[in-house]
Amino acid sequence: MLEIKDLTLRYGKHTALDGVSAEVGKGEMVAILGANGAGKSSLLGAVGGRVRPASGSIRYQDQDLLALPQHLLVEHGIALVPEGRGIFPAMTVEDNLSLGALPRRAQAGAAARRDEVFGLFPKLAQRRGQIAGTMSGGEQQMVAIGRALMSAPDLLLLDEPSLGLAPIVAQELFAALGRIRAGGLTIMIVEQNAAATLALADRAYLLEAGRIIGAGAAEALRNDPAVAAAFLGGALTD
Amino acid sequence: MLLTTLILGAVLGGTYALLALGLTLQYGIARIMNLAYGELTLIAAFVLVWAFQGLGLSPIISILLLAPAGYLVGWALYTVMMGPLVRRAGGSGRLEVDSILATFGLLFLIQGVLLLTAGPNFTSISYLDRGVSVFGVSVAANKLVAFGICVVAGGALVVALARTRWGLTLRAVALSPVSAPLVGIDVNRTMRQGFALGTALAAVAGGTLAMYQTFSATGGVVFTMKALVIVIMGGVGNVGGALAAGLALGLVETFVATAIDPGLTLAATFAIFLIVLLWRPQGLFRRR
Ligand SMILES: Nc1ncnc2c1ncn2[C@@H]1O[C@H](COP(=O)(O)OP(=O)(O)OP(=O)(O)O)[C@@H](O)[C@H]1O
Ligand SMILES: [Mg+2]
Repeated sequence: MLEIKDLTLRYGKHTALDGVSAEVGKGEMVAILGANGAGKSSLLGAVGGRVRPASGSIRYQDQDLLALPQHLLVEHGIALVPEGRGIFPAMTVEDNLSLGALPRRAQAGAAARRDEVFGLFPKLAQRRGQIAGTMSGGEQQMVAIGRALMSAPDLLLLDEPSLGLAPIVAQELFAALGRIRAGGLTIMIVEQNAAATLALADRAYLLEAGRIIGAGAAEALRNDPAVAAAFLGGALTD
Repeated sequence: MLLTTLILGAVLGGTYALLALGLTLQYGIARIMNLAYGELTLIAAFVLVWAFQGLGLSPIISILLLAPAGYLVGWALYTVMMGPLVRRAGGSGRLEVDSILATFGLLFLIQGVLLLTAGPNFTSISYLDRGVSVFGVSVAANKLVAFGICVVAGGALVVALARTRWGLTLRAVALSPVSAPLVGIDVNRTMRQGFALGTALAAVAGGTLAMYQTFSATGGVVFTMKALVIVIMGGVGNVGGALAAGLALGLVETFVATAIDPGLTLAATFAIFLIVLLWRPQGLFRRR
């Protein structure tokens, strides 16, 4: 479904991605794990059209994504929840969700999708009139994911959705992601919380200093002592 | 006496509100501080006068034509003049300075052309100037028609911004331009629409003004300044605030002109401006 080949991305002289190749199959959930500054957001941002790579290719369902401007990606079924959430903080929850349904492909069935989002995050239903920027971090993340789901995506790109959330809130969020995933959506996720992510994902890539240094089934990576030492804070306990 | 002032003030305020609405849309959505705004208003006012005197065209029809024409002129101005500045700024704060300089130049260009074609004298038309009784006060019919146009245009815009998908798109770009592409919004296109829409409002405001006031080719700066004062009074980007502040300024000016001295209206405007800037720089209505 998504095929990233030899992607190189630079900010000025600094090389953030150095020949990265990765794939995401239809219905798969693929995680990108790596330390701070490894280039995870750069990779997701390149797929989501936020940053332009210097070379390489990104293909999605036979479409060359690098040929499209950022705002058209969502019409092709790609929804990005960037680092920092990318919501509209000065607008209400309701307006944020309506904005999610703005793309042409999302207009039919918007009401049903809104009900799904409210089913997934009941809190949003109660708070629809609240200004999104006045919500807690966890609630804002719900708005961000809800907004992305409103655009009827086939591929959901999530950049550290649990960042800055209290453990219990993060746990609820991962439970919601589990339900989204069970609905058959293809997901590419960047996370610091490797244990919780690997418990949900099918496969993962390990990114270090802009290069892929490992990849494999989530199950296998969870039991790999080297991975456990690098990403899971020592021994992994289930 | 007081009732007369209130009614005449509301009429003037209606035009001011529309004027400010256009400027705040241009600044809020396209992030362009358009110093030539008042000159664009004046062009519309002159066009209305010429169409009336030369072609016998009814001012109401002129205004109906001026709105889309203003939109097109704004669209073209943005494409030819602002677009390159926007691209060069690439989302940085440089656009603000560049656009001020560029539109400052445009101001003198338009003013020069207007002076050449219309001369320096004051112009006005006599259209529907018989009195109509409103709550026992005699008001010229042209003022009532102008006021009606302002209410309809301003009201329609406010409803469209609050209720339609198009309005939602404009608001999204005004509030969070970086997030807008995530929901499929073409930010550059929307900015162009915002600038064009602001120019359309300038044109309609200029048209209504020409229906009941005298004006001259050098008066554009005053319109820009007044619109700016109202925008800051109402809170930058606050549409409801601009409408309320516009109405308030019309009332204050009319009150000063009738109760004190007509020569003091401009001074009163700037006194209010200074007070607002010193006391509530965030605008009169901003919560938080
Ligand atoms: N706009 C930018 N300008 C310059 N350098 C940048 C920019 N964005 C990212 N970088 C650099 O590129 C590298 C990769 O950044 P990126 O944000 O992709 O990392 P990350 O893996 O997402 O990190 P984190 O876990 O902290 O979010 C970092 O060294 C960062 O400093
Ligand atoms: Mg990151």
